Amino acid sequence: MSGISVGTFYNPHLGAELAQADGIDHLAMADPPAPHDPHWPAIKQRYTLLLHDYLGQLSEPLDERSIARARSLAELYRTPWVAEHFQCLHTEDGRYNLNYVFPPLYTEEFLQRFVTNAKALQVRLDQPLVMENIPGFFDVKASQLPEPVWLRRFFEATGAGFLLDLPHVWLEAHYRAVKPAVWLAEFPLERVVELHVAGVVQDDDLQGPWIAPAAPSDEMLDFLALAVSRCPRAQAVTFDAFSPSLTLEVLLSSVERIRAAL
Amino acid sequence: MSDREIQDSVIRALADAPYRASPAWRGLALADPTRLERFARFLARHFYHERLVHFFKYSRALARVTGRHPEAVLQGGGFDALLPKAVLGSRDTARGVAALAVHHVHSASASRAIPYLSDLLEYEQAMMIVEAGPRVWRDDGAEQGAGSGERSLPETVQGTVLLDLAYDLPAVLPKLLQPWTEVPPASPRRVKLLVARSAHGRVTVARADAAVASVVELADGRKTLPELAREAGLRTADLEATLAGLADLGAVRFGTGS
Repeated sequence: MSGISVGTFYNPHLGAELAQADGIDHLAMADPPAPHDPHWPAIKQRYTLLLHDYLGQLSEPLDERSIARARSLAELYRTPWVAEHFQCLHTEDGRYNLNYVFPPLYTEEFLQRFVTNAKALQVRLDQPLVMENIPGFFDVKASQLPEPVWLRRFFEATGAGFLLDLPHVWLEAHYRAVKPAVWLAEFPLERVVELHVAGVVQDDDLQGPWIAPAAPSDEMLDFLALAVSRCPRAQAVTFDAFSPSLTLEVLLSSVERIRAAL
Repeated sequence: MSDREIQDSVIRALADAPYRASPAWRGLALADPTRLERFARFLARHFYHERLVHFFKYSRALARVTGRHPEAVLQGGGFDALLPKAVLGSRDTARGVAALAVHHVHSASASRAIPYLSDLLEYEQAMMIVEAGPRVWRDDGAEQGAGSGERSLPETVQGTVLLDLAYDLPAVLPKLLQPWTEVPPASPRRVKLLVARSAHGRVTVARADAAVASVVELADGRKTLPELAREAGLRTADLEATLAGLADLGAVRFGTGS
């Protein structure tokens, strides 16, 4: 398949190499560039940049400060779309914060919250909004809808794009003991604009696999090829790895293998 | 209970180990306890890995001399022992984890090679502890701080720290993050540093002169501006300028009295 942009995340510790690398079409930005990052001017000039920062959790309306920040970053990057996550990771009073992506309850109340707040954000952005699925390690009994149904209804109500994180789908399938392709088929793939792919590794605390800034396995790349074939509007695939421990070799070889898998 | 309140309970259960063990949480029966516990432990290690890597970055840069990476403590028994009482983001847990890192990195041989190591670890520990605590995630209304019309009764914000160091750390810290072959030296010179956090969680460090130090130590939320000026030995104009700067850093806030 051609015409799909293949890229990765901007990892500042690899800035010098990324500024000259071949074979990378775009870079997603998880953090703003550091004020004295010597490679930032070249990176900005060379790449299509995708805004993929933490803007806020859409269980609550974004405040003016957050919206201004999102607009400012979007303008700085000249991003084709703005990404956020289906997440609710801190309590409403700010007292508890997980500092890690965590999904909301899949209920009617949360659906209404996310739809309302996403629409309010869309009005304030000059670019389309895309939303990324977040894996659950355990089910919360108060949830009322299957995650794919909840997501489908969100996208139908907002018109937002879908940033499909494939390892997240793969992990959920693993912990539900269903085949990844079967679980994937439940999601609104016709809404997908961008896909994330990466590796998973064994985690001692979880006693099972979890997301990691690691190279995707051959199985994951096969899963990617399958997913892309079912996402008619997909425009980009991003190697989802952002960590100071990430090596240049893993980054470049992963992007190359992703491109080959497509 | 609204869905948002249920979500908050789940978030709290993941972040707050004593709550997770309480009848109040267990009675809700919202999630498989084994799965929840595993995920909570995963989150705790992730939470403090990020903070140790960030706040102890200078010690990390010195690891080839000390032989110790601060974040290694997260794989040790000391951290596991903290987990049953850990509350992610709390000052107590930050203090406990930071102490593990300081103990791990500090050694007699490392101190001989890096004379300012004790100061550095004290600084990094302070940064990590000051960052902890609840924060404002959304701006819902008028902010307190500099510029408030009715401000009075300045009070040092809880958690603000004044460090009294024997070495000029601010001069050496940037050099530690640059390439070096010999450990960059620090001048032996007494330095006072103020470490403060804004309501949104931004940690700031500033050199503190005598006026700043005395205001931070004296502002208790009960003294009026004239009283504070008198006790600090400052002119009113100088006090107001100092207070404005401290409020911008998040070190001082203004109450309205009782």
